[in-house]
Amino acid sequence: MKVRRWLATGALALVMSLGALVGSASFRAEEVSILMPSSFTDASADLVKAFNHQHRGRIHLKLIRGPLNTESISDLAISSLLLGDAPFDALLMDVTWLPKYAAAGWLEPLDTWFDRRDQEQLVQGARLGNDYDGHLYRWPLVADVGMLYWRTDLMDQPPTTPEELVAVAGRLVESQAVTNGFVWQGRQYEGLSCAFLEVLKGFGGNWMDTSSYTMELDTSAATAAASWLNDLISEGVSPYAVTNYAEAESLQAFKAGDAAMMRNWPYAWAELQKDDSRVKGKVGISLMVAQQGQRPGATLGSWGLSLMRQSQHQEAAVEAIRYLTSEAAQRERFLNNGYTPIQAELFNDTEMLKASPVLSDLMEALNHAVVRPPTPLYAQLSDVVQRELNGLFTDAGSADEAMATSQKLSQTLLRATGATP
Amino acid sequence: MTLLLASPALLLIAVVFGWPMLRYAWLSFHAHSVLTGLEPMANGGANWLRLAVDQRFWLDAGQTARFALISVGLELLLALAIALLLHQRWRGRGAVRALTLLPWALPTTMMALGWRWIFNSPYGPIEVLARSLGLNSLDLLSTPSITWLVTVFADVWKTTPFITLILLAGLQSIPEDLYGAFRLEGGTPVQALRSVTLPLLLPYILLSLLFRLAQAFGVFDLVQVLTGGGPAGSTESIALYAYFNGMRFLDFGYSSTVMLAGFLLLTSLILVGTLLLKSFGVLRHIDP
Repeated sequence: MKVRRWLATGALALVMSLGALVGSASFRAEEVSILMPSSFTDASADLVKAFNHQHRGRIHLKLIRGPLNTESISDLAISSLLLGDAPFDALLMDVTWLPKYAAAGWLEPLDTWFDRRDQEQLVQGARLGNDYDGHLYRWPLVADVGMLYWRTDLMDQPPTTPEELVAVAGRLVESQAVTNGFVWQGRQYEGLSCAFLEVLKGFGGNWMDTSSYTMELDTSAATAAASWLNDLISEGVSPYAVTNYAEAESLQAFKAGDAAMMRNWPYAWAELQKDDSRVKGKVGISLMVAQQGQRPGATLGSWGLSLMRQSQHQEAAVEAIRYLTSEAAQRERFLNNGYTPIQAELFNDTEMLKASPVLSDLMEALNHAVVRPPTPLYAQLSDVVQRELNGLFTDAGSADEAMATSQKLSQTLLRATGATP
Repeated sequence: MTLLLASPALLLIAVVFGWPMLRYAWLSFHAHSVLTGLEPMANGGANWLRLAVDQRFWLDAGQTARFALISVGLELLLALAIALLLHQRWRGRGAVRALTLLPWALPTTMMALGWRWIFNSPYGPIEVLARSLGLNSLDLLSTPSITWLVTVFADVWKTTPFITLILLAGLQSIPEDLYGAFRLEGGTPVQALRSVTLPLLLPYILLSLLFRLAQAFGVFDLVQVLTGGGPAGSTESIALYAYFNGMRFLDFGYSSTVMLAGFLLLTSLILVGTLLLKSFGVLRHIDP
């Protein structure tokens, strides 16, 4: 009796363990995880579900929900990469991280998976900022450029030159049609560098020549750009508070109907069309102003997916990257979340055009995309400019001094880090 | 024998303190950044030379010292007053004692985030209040000459309870009969404070000063969340600068140099303080 029970139990255990073995062999899908800011994981939930359904038993994709703030998620990613064993196979990267991460040796080139034909399908702006040292390291997920938002109920046309912007804003504020003329990002943070680069381009300037590490911040164009921004504040076109504004604060002011114009990214459009917006249906988008004869610039701020060099699941991860950046995925993200697509074709798509009247304006802005200096030292160089500009806005001082100091500090930094002799 | 008994503690200190310090020192003589592919490459004293002429570092050092000295000074004065009050017997004292500790129990990050919204311009309550009083916009977080005072304020609010707690413990260790004897001799309460309370409280005061100065000099989380070092770098501390160099710029050689220099500055600050106190004879009460 006892022996029989023993045997039965043994047989049962054997069958169960065999079953588990067989089961795990056939169902053991390759785990791929991608770290993204929470806004992107939330917007991709349905896509992940569909992907996992399609690849059942083969690949299981998991998105890691990172912090929303760009710098916080970079800190998080860097911390785990420094420890040498990052728990993600791919990472959604901001355009400015790429040279630094690539130089650090954390990224696997994507050249073997994405060829010229793939690249040629991208809209102009989305082709920029994905390479470092002749290799492709990032495949874009959303296109993103800085633009000028303007109130269609307050003006017939958006201003196209710096002088026009000041004149229009001055008139509107004087006639008390609106509290503030123009809101933008003046806080000491990356957003200020983005806003500055656009104005700099509009004045015909250039930040630096990255191939030779030549700084161009003390040129007359750069000084004129800084001076113009500073005058916006001192002459009341922009409120003093912009010196502490990031995107959220600018949007808040514009959305409340307190400003005639705003510099912001494409995501703001959808926010401004919500029911709690006081400017719903009264907003147009355009390019940042530029001096007569200069080509306007739109700072590129796109996000894209990069493959980690140490990933054990590179093939599977690339498959996930392809899926998440596919035309269908772009369409879905645009229609549901307002994320700008990267494929040129989609900008002429009737369904997409019907959903958004500003798609052609976005395309136009993407054709004017400019990248922030693509060097591994960008964060340091940008930090210098942010400090000097914010110091110029908040303290007494001249644009000449601020830009001369920026130039000098940047050069010192390049020498100290060994980038230049 | 003494050394043998102390060896576990010494070993622990060597592992958690000595080793990182040595590592910092080693790294500070190397280039270790993205440009070297994150591999350490000996570069002599280049980092230290860079530090010597790095205006930003010396500016930050000055700002950090200013922040530490002023906030700890204010905290000490306030904490002394509060501790004396809480030492008296009165109804509801227990509840108030518990309440006073509350700011200290809050995580600094949460507290700093709270202040950031409170001082926000133009939508924070302080701004709204100022406007309703007909004042101009205060822009407390975007005016370099003022914002550092906001960080001092937030720090005082948060860490005064810590000193209060230490001083209160000190007060309770003073025997009641000393005061009785002092009254018998005809001393006034103010004289009692000067001749009995303060001298006996001195070891506690110095202890809390030491703790707090070291902590305030390494201030990081408060400024990182409240101001991010701005506006125009006016609230950047040494620790924040070291963090930027390490985590954001991936320049670990220089980051270590900054960190180590900060540590050396703090050590010398405390050394000078101790020598000053000694020369004034303040320490004779507690020297063994």
